[in-house]
Amino acid sequence: MKLILRFLPILAVWPLLFLLSAPAPAQVPETVCIQCHGAQSGRLGEPVRLWKGSIHAANGISCHGCHGGDPADMAMAMSPERGFLGKPAEEAIPGFCGRCHVGVKEDYLTSAHGRALGRGGPQCVTCHGSHAVRMATPDLINNRDCTRCHDYGRANEIKSAVSETDRRITELEQSLAAMHRIGIATREMSGELFALRNRFHRLFHSVDVEKVRSRTAAFQSELGTIRGRVDAIEEELKRRKLWGGAVVALLVIWGILAWLLHRSYMDDKKAG
Amino acid sequence: MGLGKKMADFIDARLGIRDILEQNLTKYLLPRNINAWYTLGAVLLTLFTVQIATGILLLIYYNPNTDEAFRSVQRIMNEVPFGWLIRTIHAVGSNIIVLALLLHMLSVLFMGSYKRPRELTWVAGFLLLLLSLGMCLTGYLLPWSQLSFWATTVATNSSQELPMIGDAAVRFLRGGAMVGQPTLGRFFALHVMGFPLLFGMLVLFHLFCVRRVGISRPPFGHDWQAPPPSTTFRHEEHPGGIPFFPHYVAKDAAIIAFFLALLLGVVFFAPGLFFPPAAFEPADPFVTPPGIKPEWYFLWAYQTLKLLPSEFLGLAVQGVAVTLLLLLPFLDRSPERRPSRRPLFVSAYVLGVALFVALSVWGHYS
Repeated sequence: MKLILRFLPILAVWPLLFLLSAPAPAQVPETVCIQCHGAQSGRLGEPVRLWKGSIHAANGISCHGCHGGDPADMAMAMSPERGFLGKPAEEAIPGFCGRCHVGVKEDYLTSAHGRALGRGGPQCVTCHGSHAVRMATPDLINNRDCTRCHDYGRANEIKSAVSETDRRITELEQSLAAMHRIGIATREMSGELFALRNRFHRLFHSVDVEKVRSRTAAFQSELGTIRGRVDAIEEELKRRKLWGGAVVALLVIWGILAWLLHRSYMDDKKAG
Repeated sequence: MGLGKKMADFIDARLGIRDILEQNLTKYLLPRNINAWYTLGAVLLTLFTVQIATGILLLIYYNPNTDEAFRSVQRIMNEVPFGWLIRTIHAVGSNIIVLALLLHMLSVLFMGSYKRPRELTWVAGFLLLLLSLGMCLTGYLLPWSQLSFWATTVATNSSQELPMIGDAAVRFLRGGAMVGQPTLGRFFALHVMGFPLLFGMLVLFHLFCVRRVGISRPPFGHDWQAPPPSTTFRHEEHPGGIPFFPHYVAKDAAIIAFFLALLLGVVFFAPGLFFPPAAFEPADPFVTPPGIKPEWYFLWAYQTLKLLPSEFLGLAVQGVAVTLLLLLPFLDRSPERRPSRRPLFVSAYVLGVALFVALSVWGHYS
């Protein structure tokens, strides 16, 4: 009990340090759209609940980013005067999303999917969803979704062609994010990778397996260049850890030896 | 006889240095039951020395200008040889210092070492804690990152709630309506010159008090007795105690080594532990990053402001809490220091620490 009492201060502060150094969940500023629709149930409230788990929410793209309007003025939030667009018609969806995703829209419109727009062909939300917008990954190409319209065989070929490159892009993104978190200047490489990823993802939308295969080598080569730079930095980080580990070990040894020295002085004092 | 010894003898014959060293090292006796908590002062002196050394090195490359500050920190982290090490030690070191300061304060409180005749030592120490937090706050803005900008905006905004002088106080702190170049300029001046000067003087006074009054005996063991009340100055002697050097210096060295190992362990193996991603993005006054929170040691204050119905009330509660702690030795005047004989104080202590932890965790996840 006495020991616990003596160490009470340290017991109190240590857990706090570790609890508080854990990352806090990200929060998106609440707009009037979210305040009003988020409080509603059913059809009018559903979009907010779906959006909260979307890639748009994760990147801070809120309702007004797509639907326009004034997110700060409850009375004018849905006024066309403030650019409110509302829900687009099915044929208008590629143009709606394509205001931001320009390259993807171009490749989509020239693809077999785009040419079938308005005649039962898929558009953006068919695969990516509306509100619960999913990140563009090869997982969106899957047997369950593709076979809603056609045979999976050709879709699977495209998936196989893009998967390896996409995996390497994701790995690089993770490496760069980890380096950015410790202050390494990654802006230039992240910009290059972002542009490459966008160009590669617009390639999916051509749904042309030959085109994907013929261009994949060029993407892989560009990825290899970025990977080389990232590998060099990661190697340097490993070296730092190695030296750091040695210094920390020496300090711990110094601490233990000094403590033992103190004990021996105390023993001498008691004996003397 | 070597030249070194001749020089030492020359100086000693004129200034009596050997006598000073003897009186303050080998003949300076400490209580036999002195524990490891007493080493935190030496740990803090070492950590502050590291902060000063790394701070001076950072000054060589840092540019306190809103157009250049972020870029200069990026340059230190990525281009200057060992710049990443110096800057990370400085940034992580501030967190480890606050941790050590809190532990030092909590241990002094628990052992009742703030009581008469050590009231002035406590007041100086508590002011040192507040000044350290001030240095953390002003240093936070200097990298001119999104985190720096918005955390400072939120922190300075709180002053707006002060009655009558709220707006003037915000403008005074920021040097204008918004956080900008005048804010960076004054925070920089305070961080590298104003606060360190005050801090240095207070440290000297704190150490003078510690040495002049004498080390307090830990209030544990059956033979502990409260010292008799005295109206005149009396240095607390510890006959039969252990010499400061080499006995206690060895213990100091051990705990200092463990703290340095902790500091460098975080620097090398978890350098991002205390920094959210916004700490590495340049300040943008037009984009509010999501989830901006103060540093872990200010979260209790942040959550108090959120919980109470008005920010003024929150500031008032914080002001009262800080003032009570500052003046504690003048309020708690009983000579009893044994925790087992102070159930009311120990209960308040445990509740206070639990409240601090709960508010901080709540603030972090809210």
